[in-house]
Amino acid sequence: MSEEELRIGVYVCHCGGNISDYVDVKKVVEAIKGEPGVVVAKDVMFACSDSSQNEIINDVKEHNLNRVVVASCSPKLHELTFRETVKRAGLNPYLYYHANIREHVSWAHTDTREGATEKAIRHVRAAIAYVRNAKPLEPIRQKTMHAVLVIGGGIAGLRAALDLSRTGLNVYLVERSPFLGGRTPQLYRVYPDGRRGADIVKDLVSELIRRDNVAIYTNAEIKSFSGYIGNFEVEVEIKPRYIKVPYDEIKEKIKELPDEIPDEFNYGLTKRKVIYYPYEGAFPRIPVLDLDHCSDVETIKELLGDAVDLEQKPETVKLKVGAVIVATGFDPYEPKEGEFGYGRQGVVTLPQLHRLMDLGNGELKLNGREIRDVAFVYCVGSRQKKSSEEEEVNEYCSRYCCNAAMYISSLLMEQGIRTYHIFRDIRTYGRHERMYDEVSRKGGIFIKYNEDEPPEIEEEGDKLLLKVKDLLTAGEQLEIPVDLVVLVTGMVPRKTPELDELLRISRGRDRFYVEVHPKLRPVETAIGGIFIAGACQAPRDICETLSSASAAASKAATVTLRDVIELEPFKAEVDPNICDLSKKCIEICPYEAIEIKNYEGIGEKAWVNKAKCMGCGACVAVCPTEAIQLNGLTNEQIRAMIEAAGKEVII
Amino acid sequence: MNEGGSEPLILVFSTNTISDPGIDFTGLMHLHYPTRTVIVRLPCSSMVRPQFVLYALTHGFDGVFIAADGPDCPYLAAACVDITSQRMAEAQNLLKENGIKPERLAMAGICSVCAEPFVRSIKAFYDRIKDLGKVEIGEV
Amino acid sequence: MSVKSWYERKYYGEIEDLPEEEYDVLVIGGGIAGIQAALDLGDMGFKVVLVEKEPSIGGFMYKLSKTFPTMDCASCIATPRMAQVFHHPMIDLLIYSEVEEIEKKGEGDFRVKVLEKPRFVDSSRCTGCGQCELACPVIVPHEYDWGLAGRKAVYIPFDTAVPRIAVVDLDHCIYCGQCERACPTEPPSIDFTQVPKIHHLKVGAIIIATGFHLFDARLKENYHFGEYPNVIHAMHMDRLLAPTRPYHAILRPSDGKEPNNIAYILCVGSRDKTVNNPNCSQICCMYSIKQAQLIMGALPLADVTIYYIDIRAFGKAFEEFYQQAKDMGIMLVKGRVAKIEQKENGDLIVWYEDIENGGKLCKAEHDLVVLSVGLLPNKEIANVFKGQKLEVDDVGWIKPVDENANPVETSIRGVFAAGTALGPKDIPDSVIEGGAAAMQCAAYLSEVRGRH
Repeated sequence: MSEEELRIGVYVCHCGGNISDYVDVKKVVEAIKGEPGVVVAKDVMFACSDSSQNEIINDVKEHNLNRVVVASCSPKLHELTFRETVKRAGLNPYLYYHANIREHVSWAHTDTREGATEKAIRHVRAAIAYVRNAKPLEPIRQKTMHAVLVIGGGIAGLRAALDLSRTGLNVYLVERSPFLGGRTPQLYRVYPDGRRGADIVKDLVSELIRRDNVAIYTNAEIKSFSGYIGNFEVEVEIKPRYIKVPYDEIKEKIKELPDEIPDEFNYGLTKRKVIYYPYEGAFPRIPVLDLDHCSDVETIKELLGDAVDLEQKPETVKLKVGAVIVATGFDPYEPKEGEFGYGRQGVVTLPQLHRLMDLGNGELKLNGREIRDVAFVYCVGSRQKKSSEEEEVNEYCSRYCCNAAMYISSLLMEQGIRTYHIFRDIRTYGRHERMYDEVSRKGGIFIKYNEDEPPEIEEEGDKLLLKVKDLLTAGEQLEIPVDLVVLVTGMVPRKTPELDELLRISRGRDRFYVEVHPKLRPVETAIGGIFIAGACQAPRDICETLSSASAAASKAATVTLRDVIELEPFKAEVDPNICDLSKKCIEICPYEAIEIKNYEGIGEKAWVNKAKCMGCGACVAVCPTEAIQLNGLTNEQIRAMIEAAGKEVII
Repeated sequence: MNEGGSEPLILVFSTNTISDPGIDFTGLMHLHYPTRTVIVRLPCSSMVRPQFVLYALTHGFDGVFIAADGPDCPYLAAACVDITSQRMAEAQNLLKENGIKPERLAMAGICSVCAEPFVRSIKAFYDRIKDLGKVEIGEV
Repeated sequence: MSVKSWYERKYYGEIEDLPEEEYDVLVIGGGIAGIQAALDLGDMGFKVVLVEKEPSIGGFMYKLSKTFPTMDCASCIATPRMAQVFHHPMIDLLIYSEVEEIEKKGEGDFRVKVLEKPRFVDSSRCTGCGQCELACPVIVPHEYDWGLAGRKAVYIPFDTAVPRIAVVDLDHCIYCGQCERACPTEPPSIDFTQVPKIHHLKVGAIIIATGFHLFDARLKENYHFGEYPNVIHAMHMDRLLAPTRPYHAILRPSDGKEPNNIAYILCVGSRDKTVNNPNCSQICCMYSIKQAQLIMGALPLADVTIYYIDIRAFGKAFEEFYQQAKDMGIMLVKGRVAKIEQKENGDLIVWYEDIENGGKLCKAEHDLVVLSVGLLPNKEIANVFKGQKLEVDDVGWIKPVDENANPVETSIRGVFAAGTALGPKDIPDSVIEGGAAAMQCAAYLSEVRGRH
């Protein structure tokens, strides 16, 4: 390239006055005309207009230009436009540089035309210096696997898997627990349509298992993870269930086993057996033997005979996928002992209330006793105040809880149960306001408490006494006897430290996964090809979770439906002839994109996996020999820009 | 033009996704700051080689200002602050070794809408460099 | 009256019929939800046509100042997206165009008539230089600034419009020809001979992303919006706070004074059965808190009081944003505002029920009152479907067939919806639904075309 004669075209834009009112555009053109290699230097009214773009294309052809600079607005607006223009003119699009003389110059220096003009000249000179040292670059073309890994078998994962499979992509769904469905089957009825949580899951699962391009692994975890967008390699370990036959075949026999272990599905309200099948309709239909809690293997063997196989071993499957959707969900907040009376008889959480109602087929009883008065205490485990920096509290609002509590209250009130709502703000946003309205109309009693004076719950005879200061009645101290206190608990993100470490995706201050940009890229992580869906990103209800799952699936489809994806060429590259193998680049790279490779005839030197490299340049700064540099912004280019911009300007 | 006069010349390293748009935003708000500031954009502030700083201060510039991303960095997240600070410290040592005052290099986190903070910090830095005068090898 | 019949009347039936064009997906509405849906589908390899009725894409978002809770500037984040969709090789745009009729012939086969309104400006020549604007003698209130500033009868929709091309507003044009003479292109780009065109599209699936409109605050008579000059609505304030704002200052309308005691009244036109909108509008609490924070920055000495019923800071990082506002000294009063009275100097007396102090009726003086108006559905889209019924709810929002299974699927198979067409929501949720609708379209098309 260096042999070729440099022929540079420079276009300085007026932006219809946005630039030329404050920068003497003619003088800028004048000042850079004599720069070495500049063949064409022009001012244009609107560089971005079709006519100006055509002018550039014509100039490239007519004057055999091989480098182009446009000085106009921010590169965020039109850098791509002009790269495309240059490409249309038959040049490599990276032999172009965009000088920002509007946002960085004319608009910021409306007070001094002379100063602004001088600065514009420096910016254009730097741009010329850049292109003078520019080399043609090619986008990195990456073949992609037409397959997606979905981590998490709750409704987010199920929805995403189903969507992707419908487009013909292969889908692998990995669920850590032995059964699909996540938290949703534990819900008695969900707002606003009153469907049973288990039915929502059943519908999704039955559609999914009909499909031949979906593989479902339950009781399984990600063991290793490597690769990059379009080409990830994953190892999944499937733990043994020790049971070989469907629940229905051994149902009666299992019944003979004692209830001995607190049932997680019912949040410890009931006990379960060592052979475990959480609810009617759960998928897979094969129960699990909880070997960790099994004290008497022999009895099990005797009872079940061939249906049990204790010789089962964990299996590992290796997958190749083009994209990954993380949908690991949430856990309900577990109140601390004593927090709002938690631990007392008659104090339950909202998820537990769902289980109580489900177990009672809609009727609410506690220990056989009829319930007449229920108090809902809102914002338990949400909107917490930080008292010290170290303390891990949930400052966020959990979004779904007001709606959920309101819906279930209206069900209770249909049964003649009185409901009290001890709240901070009722956040039944959007259409859910209707549920709030309904509960108010039916006679629900609303009491607003101050976050600094939370309600106290005491036992009084076989009832509970809830003491609270009501802000709606000017701070009146109320004492309300109730049968049941429901703590409306929020969501906390499911803790998955090993997975976070393997995938290298990060969490925010609220400990939920963090998206790249909440508005522009709400389902993308910083790692290309890994997307997030559902409540692992933020508290969400079912409807919102399903939308975010489909949105994440959409992004995964943009990667995997194509045969090849194109990545920008701004990646680090090692010159093995100079590399002294200091390994400093390897240490600093946050993406593990740099490894040691044996170069033929040179030996072991650093090597960049361009599909993994994100192009931050951190390695460039630490290399002792300048062996590693960034394509598209080499050290030579940076020095040339500094030198050009630092030169004296004489107007 | 007041070339070679008492007015210093500052090199600003900005970052493509955050601080460069922040400086854009400053312009969009029509907020003023010294014109003798040249902005060169990089992907991430962690790319600033200490030698680039020395190069700038020996090629016409009197101060180098790194408009960093802070913990919002899309590449390195919170680690960006530490990594860039480390490069800064190395760069300041390098300046000292070459007889240049290390105060000629400064860093501030500039978010994508940090117009006012950018103006505040670049003005303060400019004034400081103006007080230091033109760069001279052997000034320390 | 349909747009077409309006034009037919105006042009005595002279409308150009174009030959049929085929696309995989039609996206109706070029706001942020429609843009996201189009981009995802385009990236997946589907051929998309995006129809926008305004003279520029961008929808509502580009009008906003900053966006909660991250406070990034709305036009800065919307503009690159607008450019991306404009340049995308798989996406065609029909701008300043309206869908007239949709007929479903079968699964994966919709026939659509789109009316492209004449801009009276040749888009292949216009460079958006703005000379015509300068020459035009007619000044009318600019919709972009909610009438706070003026525009000409020929105008570029806004600074960062996509495409950045002028448009002639025939309702206000006096046919003086000055724009034509001022136009620097050769021949002039101003072209009064343009006629409306009907595009006939054959598409496989449809996404409706037609957004919302604001509640008309005049309907709350006791707040005297439209009558008391210093009662404005929150979108006025958003424009006053935007980097591209009309006066580069926050001024109250009656006398151009800088306000220093501003009141926000929440739930105007929301949670209110008297105006037939029992729903909460979902975003007003947050945009009001955002504006209050921006005002605190712009007018450090001003007091800001928010009269609220409940503060609904429910989304990601919203609660933290709300607490931050409280820490900044923004006053929050739980109370419904009963009425507003105007004093002679233009200041306003706000009568409110002070709920946390026994519910007594109190009054407070403010020099500017901002009404946080709610969102209402754009109902026209339901009328374009021929022979099929697009289900909407009792307020008029598009109703998903089964929101707990597939929240973006409408009652017509193959027609999906996204963003505020489905109900009030913020930008992140609209973008998410744009993606979700794109995914559902892709799955639907793959199935009906037998790819899988």
